[in-house]
Amino acid sequence: MSKMTADVIIIGGGVNGCATAYYLAKQGITDVIVLEANKSVGHGGSSRNGGGVRQSGRDMRELPYAMYAVNNMWPTLSEELGVDVEYYQRGNLRLGKTDAHIAKLEGMASKSRELGLNMNVVDAKTVKEICPYLSDEVIGASWCPTDGHANPMLTTLAYYKRALEMGVRFFTDAKVKKLEKVKGKLRKVILESGEVFEGETIIVAAGYESRYIARTVGVDVPLFKYFEEALVTEMQPHMFDIMLGTADADFYGHQAQHGSFVFGSDSGLEDGIDMDIDELKTSSLTVSAGCRAIMGYIPLLANAKIVRTWGGWIDMCHDGVPVISKVDEVPGMILACGFTGHGFGTAPAVGLMLSQMVMGKETVVDISALSYDRFKSVR
Amino acid sequence: MIKRYDLIVVGAGPAGLSAAIEAAKNGLKPIVFDENAKPGGQLFKQIHKFFGSKEHKAKIRGFNIGDELLREASENGVEVVLNATVIGLYDGKEVTVKIGEEILHYKGDSVLIATGASENMVTFKGWTTPGVIGAGAAQTMMNLHHIKPGNKVLMLGSGNVGLVVSYQLMQAGCEVVALVDAAPRIGGYGVHAAKIARCGVPFYLSHTIVEVTGAEAVNGVTIAKLDENFKFIEGTEKTFEVDTVCVAVGLSPMSQLLKQAGCEMKDTPGGFVPVCDDSGATSIPGIYAAGDVAGIEEASSAMIEGRMSGARIANYLGYLDEDALQARLAELEQALSSLRKGMFAPENRGKLVTKTEEGIDTSMSLLEKGYVADDEIEKYPGVTKGSGVHPVIECTQNIPCNPCQDACPKGCISIGSNITSLPVVKGDVACIGCGMCVASCSGQAIFLVEDDIGDGYGTVTLPYEFLPLPEVGQKGIALGRDGKEVCKAEVINVRSSTAFDHTHLLTMKVSTDMVMKARFFKAE
Amino acid sequence: MIDIQEKLKEIGPYVEAADDDVLVCRCEEVTKGEIRQAVHAGMFTMEEIRRYLRSGMGLCQGQTCGKLVKGIVARELKVSPLEIEPATSRAPMRPTEMRIMAQDGGGANE
Repeated sequence: MSKMTADVIIIGGGVNGCATAYYLAKQGITDVIVLEANKSVGHGGSSRNGGGVRQSGRDMRELPYAMYAVNNMWPTLSEELGVDVEYYQRGNLRLGKTDAHIAKLEGMASKSRELGLNMNVVDAKTVKEICPYLSDEVIGASWCPTDGHANPMLTTLAYYKRALEMGVRFFTDAKVKKLEKVKGKLRKVILESGEVFEGETIIVAAGYESRYIARTVGVDVPLFKYFEEALVTEMQPHMFDIMLGTADADFYGHQAQHGSFVFGSDSGLEDGIDMDIDELKTSSLTVSAGCRAIMGYIPLLANAKIVRTWGGWIDMCHDGVPVISKVDEVPGMILACGFTGHGFGTAPAVGLMLSQMVMGKETVVDISALSYDRFKSVR
Repeated sequence: MIKRYDLIVVGAGPAGLSAAIEAAKNGLKPIVFDENAKPGGQLFKQIHKFFGSKEHKAKIRGFNIGDELLREASENGVEVVLNATVIGLYDGKEVTVKIGEEILHYKGDSVLIATGASENMVTFKGWTTPGVIGAGAAQTMMNLHHIKPGNKVLMLGSGNVGLVVSYQLMQAGCEVVALVDAAPRIGGYGVHAAKIARCGVPFYLSHTIVEVTGAEAVNGVTIAKLDENFKFIEGTEKTFEVDTVCVAVGLSPMSQLLKQAGCEMKDTPGGFVPVCDDSGATSIPGIYAAGDVAGIEEASSAMIEGRMSGARIANYLGYLDEDALQARLAELEQALSSLRKGMFAPENRGKLVTKTEEGIDTSMSLLEKGYVADDEIEKYPGVTKGSGVHPVIECTQNIPCNPCQDACPKGCISIGSNITSLPVVKGDVACIGCGMCVASCSGQAIFLVEDDIGDGYGTVTLPYEFLPLPEVGQKGIALGRDGKEVCKAEVINVRSSTAFDHTHLLTMKVSTDMVMKARFFKAE
Repeated sequence: MIDIQEKLKEIGPYVEAADDDVLVCRCEEVTKGEIRQAVHAGMFTMEEIRRYLRSGMGLCQGQTCGKLVKGIVARELKVSPLEIEPATSRAPMRPTEMRIMAQDGGGANE
C-alpha cells in the first residue's frame, strides 16, 4: 500500500473533493489523498443530480463564484480534463404558469442583475421562440442565456481520472469514523476499518456525513438531510439544449447529449421521509407525480419511456448556501459541505478555491460569507 | 382505497402458481401478476417429457403440466392477472403494476417474487447479427408461435437447454449442423445428448464460436478448438453455412425487484440471488422468493419450492399452524431433495463424476461426443441380452428419474427405492413387447430389441417423435448411436397410442448383427 | 479499503486486444475495449463503469450485458467476477411511457 500521510487529505470523493484534488495537483501539490466512503467515486449527490450549471436563482453569496465557473472554467473543462463532460451553455428557462410565478421570477431576476448577471423575465411568445416544445399554459419565464448543463457523472469521474493520472492517491471503501488533533492541530483521519491517515490539511467534503465527521472534533454545522428523486427517459430525438426549471420548483431537467431527458422530480411528501442515510430507496409515488409535472410543461414527452429512477440525499444547509471555509478553531481543517442541492454547477470554482485555501492564497472570489461560524452569536 | 392482499405473487410460472395454489389451499387470498399474455412461464414452451418420479409429474410433457397447474389454480380461486407488469417493489410491501394504460398500487401482507430468469449471452465477432438468437427465443418461436427460427442452425451450449432445444429444432424441421460448447464435457443429461447424436448431429466440445458472418443476417459461423486457457488453437477453425446461431449459455435470475426492495443479496456462480432460507424467506420479513429467481434449477424443483414458500407464507400470516407447516415442509423437502440427487446434483456441478453409484465407469464418449460407444454400452445394468423381444435401457447416468419401473406391466424393470439408481432389467420376467417402457422414458433411452426374427434379421423398436411418421414397409438407413450409417433398415411396425403420449414406437428390421448398434431410422 | 493507485500498478497498463471492437452493451453501443480502458483509468466498479460509459443504462437496463461487463472488469482487475458487485436495480423494471406512469390515481390529490 502507498503511504498513509499526505500534505492534504480530502474526505469525500464527490465532485467537489475530486475537483479540489485536481486543482491542487495542477498547482503542483500532488501529495494528496482522497478518501471515499463508498466503493464508487462520486456515489453521492455528485452522480444523482440533474446536471444544472446555473447562475440564475442563486443566493447572492453564491452567485459570484457560480458566475466565475461559468465565465472562466466550464467552457474549457472538457478540453482541460480530456473527457467530454457534455457541457452545454444554451441558457436556462425558469417557467411560470401564474402571475404569482412571474412576480417571483421578476424578484429573482432583478437581484441577479444587480450583480451583473444577464437574467430577464420574458413573455410567452419569447419562451416559445426559445423552446417551442413547451405547453401553452406557460405564460412567461425567467431567461438566463449563459446558464447551461453538463453531465455530472462524467464531470466527477473526469476530475477523478485526471487527478489519478497526476498522482493523487484515492482510497475507496474508506469510511471515516473520526478525526483527531495532535498538539492542537488537526492531523489524523481514522477509518471505520481502523486505518489511520495523517495530513497537514484535512478537507471535509463528505456531504451530509460531513456533519458527523466534523463533530468528532467539536465542530457542528447546521445541516439536515433531504431526499430527492430523479428520472431518466429513453433516448429521444433531439429537441433542445437549454436547461429547464419552474418557478414552482416542481421539476427541473434537460435533454442530455445522449438524447435522454433527465428530470428531478418530487412527490411533495419529501419532508416526511423517515429513512436512514445509508438507504437510497425511491418512493412508490414520486415518479408518477414527476411525470404529471413534466407532461404539464412538455406535453410532447408523453410517450417517452422512463427507463430508470433514482434518489439521493441532499446536504441541506440551514440558510440554503454551503459552508466553504477554514475552521480557525481547529487549525488544519477546511469544511466544504451543505451544498443544498445545487453544488454541481459550482464545483469547478469551489475546487479551485479550496485548493487556493490550502495553499494560503486568496480565493478567486470572496467567499467569507460562507464561513462556518456564520451561525454563531460570537463573530 | 389501496388494495391489499394476503399474498402478492409476481410471476405466474411454475414457482409462482404453485405458491399461490398452496397458499390458497390454506385459506389465503393470493393475487398473481404476470407480464405475459399467457400464464405458465416457460412451461408451455416445454414440449418434452419431464424427468423425476410420479410426484414430480415425470413423463408428462411440460405444457401439460402447465395446463394442470392452471386448472388447479383456478379450482382454488387463485386470481391471476395477465399483461400486468410489476415495475417496482417498495417499502411496506407495496408493488406498482402496469396494467393497460395505468399504474396500480397494491399492497401485500406478503410478497413472493417468482420472476424466473433471463438468458445469458456471450460475445463474439458478429454476435449482434440478426439470426443470432437465444435458445429460449427459439423455443418461443417454435413452440408458442409455430414459427421455424431458421433452416440451418448451430447450437452453442450443451447444457440441458441447448440439448433439448436442439432436439426441438430438429422436430420443427430445422437442420442442426453442430452442437458446440467451450467446456470439455457435455453439461446436460447424457440421454438428451444421445437422442440428438444418433440423429447425426456432431458435437464439438472444447470449441467455441470465433465469428458469425453476414451483413444483414447470419450466413455462416466459424468455430475453433480451445486450449486449456480457453484460447483459440490456430488451424482448428471450421466453418458452417447456417442462417441461425442459437445461444444456450445459461440463465441469470431476474432478481432486480428483490434488490430494489433492499433484500440482502449474494452473488453466486449461478447469478445474483437473494439470501433466503429453505422456504424462500428473504432478509425482509414477508418478502419471499421461489424458483429460478432464487437460483437456477428445473421447473420441477421450482414447483416444489413454490409450494414450500406458499406453506411458509400461510404460516407467517397465521393460516397454518407450526406443526402442520413442518409436516408439509418435510414432505416437500423430501420431494425436492430427491430431485437434487445424482450425478447432476448441485454439489456435482462442474465436476467430472467418473463412476456411477453402481461403480461402473462413466462413459467418456458420452461426455465428449454425445453417445455411449458401442463397446461400452453392455456395462450398464439396463442393457441385457435375451432370446425373444426384450428392453435395452441405455440409461447410463444417475439421474432422479423412475417412470420406467412403473411402466412395465410385467415388472420387468427395477430401479428400487433410490430414484437415481440405474434401471435394471430382470432376466427372469418375460417381456411382452408392449413398448410402455419405451414411451415412458423421458430420455428416449429405452429400446426393444429382438435378435432373431429369422432370415438373419432382428428388430429394434425405438421412440420416434418426428414428422412425417415413417410408414410400414418404408426402407431407409439405420443410424448408430453416433449418428453414422450402420446398415439398411425397413420399417415393419409403427405404433401410436394415447398411452404413449405422442411418442411413436417405430420398429425397424435390421440384420441380426446390428440390433445392438442400430438406434435410429433415417428414411431414404 | 481499496488503494486505487496500488491496484492500477498491480493490473498494469491497458494493452490493446484483438477483440476490443466487439460490442458488449448493445443498447448504448459500448465496446469491450472501451470497458477495458475505463478500468485502467480507475473505474473499478460497475457503477463507475456505467456512469462513465453508459453501459447497462439503456432500454434493457443491463439485463443482457450486466454479466458480460462484470466478466470483463473482473478479468482486467484480475479478480473473480463474484468480487465485482452488480450495479443497482432501479424501478421501473420495464421501460414505461410517461403518460402511463402519470396515471397512478395520484393526480387528484395534487
